[in-house]
Amino acid sequence: MSNKIKYFVQQSWLLLVTSFLFGLLIAVADAAWSAKIEQNKAEKLRGLMASLISDANSFEIAIKEANVPGDKGQIIKTDIYKALDKQGNCAGFAFVAVGTGFADKIELVVAVDARCEKLFGFNVLSSNETPGFGDKIKSAGFKNQFKGAPAGKLALIKIGDAGKIDKEIVAISGATVTSTGVVNIFNKTVVSVKEQLQNKGLITANGR
Amino acid sequence: MADENPVKINYLGALTAGLWRENPTFRLLIGMCPPLAVTTAVKPALTMGLSVIFVLVCSNLAISLMRNLLKPHLRIIMFTLSIATFVTICDLYLRAFQPVMSEILGAYIPLIIVNCIIIFRAEACASKNNVWFSILDGIGSGTGFTIALCIIAGIREILASGSIFGVAIMPRGFVPWAAMQMPVGAFVTLGLLLGLVASVLTRKKAS
Repeated sequence: MSNKIKYFVQQSWLLLVTSFLFGLLIAVADAAWSAKIEQNKAEKLRGLMASLISDANSFEIAIKEANVPGDKGQIIKTDIYKALDKQGNCAGFAFVAVGTGFADKIELVVAVDARCEKLFGFNVLSSNETPGFGDKIKSAGFKNQFKGAPAGKLALIKIGDAGKIDKEIVAISGATVTSTGVVNIFNKTVVSVKEQLQNKGLITANGR
Repeated sequence: MADENPVKINYLGALTAGLWRENPTFRLLIGMCPPLAVTTAVKPALTMGLSVIFVLVCSNLAISLMRNLLKPHLRIIMFTLSIATFVTICDLYLRAFQPVMSEILGAYIPLIIVNCIIIFRAEACASKNNVWFSILDGIGSGTGFTIALCIIAGIREILASGSIFGVAIMPRGFVPWAAMQMPVGAFVTLGLLLGLVASVLTRKKAS
């Protein structure tokens, strides 16, 4: 038995020692930088939310880990943020939503107004859509159609006036699948988020 | 071991081999995933190249230090362990201080672990040579790889968006060639460059 242990140690001491040392090295790097990494993530999300809600001065979490319909029938947990203006009144709500695009899943930051009646629009958090076609969801021409649209069911149309703000969204030509994906994200999540906010009593008539 | 070798070690050769004679991308055709995947623009390509240089130098250094202790049947696991450690550190660094680049490169930074340039240099060079030689070899191979990435990325960025390093350089009226930003652009560019290298070599041989 002791021979076996001796053999094991003889063969593997270098692996054990280096594993420990390298593990220590990674732990030190992680301890030094993890705060900065978390801060980067939070800042990015905050920046995207703030660019959607023009009155926003600060953000607080309204519902932590709310269940929102996500990609392919899954339910994802996402924080719903409440934006506060300078006077401390509610300026709107924002959350991260996920859906299926053409090439990969699309992650959006979606913002709605304080009464959850109108959309403030969306920003793309991550997407992998075809350059020149699907990635036009990042362009102002497509995004602006959502600004001020009703926070209910949206419809995708192929021909229409993209400048008119209503529940009809004009698809990007050559990227119908991606456009459908974005509209589906809104249709699946916005109503669900609205219900949850109402259930928690966070939306009232005066928006406070 | 090379330390006791009375023959003078060619340090300059170690540094310059990776640039052309043993260029990983154009001559050895190893580690072909990044040249295809991260060369849509020069900046991410350069970030990828510098990350590979860092990992190559550190892993070559670590493996060269332990080369006399390596047991033949345990060497691959030791190589992988060292490489994975430095790739993880590099990934954490980019996420902390280059968040935009880290996002663009995504999974390709962690994938450096399985990049065969690094394990190839560990096996062929660092496990047999002294520390200085291994470091120079790492710098040389890494630089050769970075230059190759930047050449491909430069061509693709100019044709796909008419700019380089994000600065527009093409004349007015230039129509961006969206295909160059897609995988097909990577394959076409790389294929043409490899053809060019092959034709240069054939001509050299003939003359």
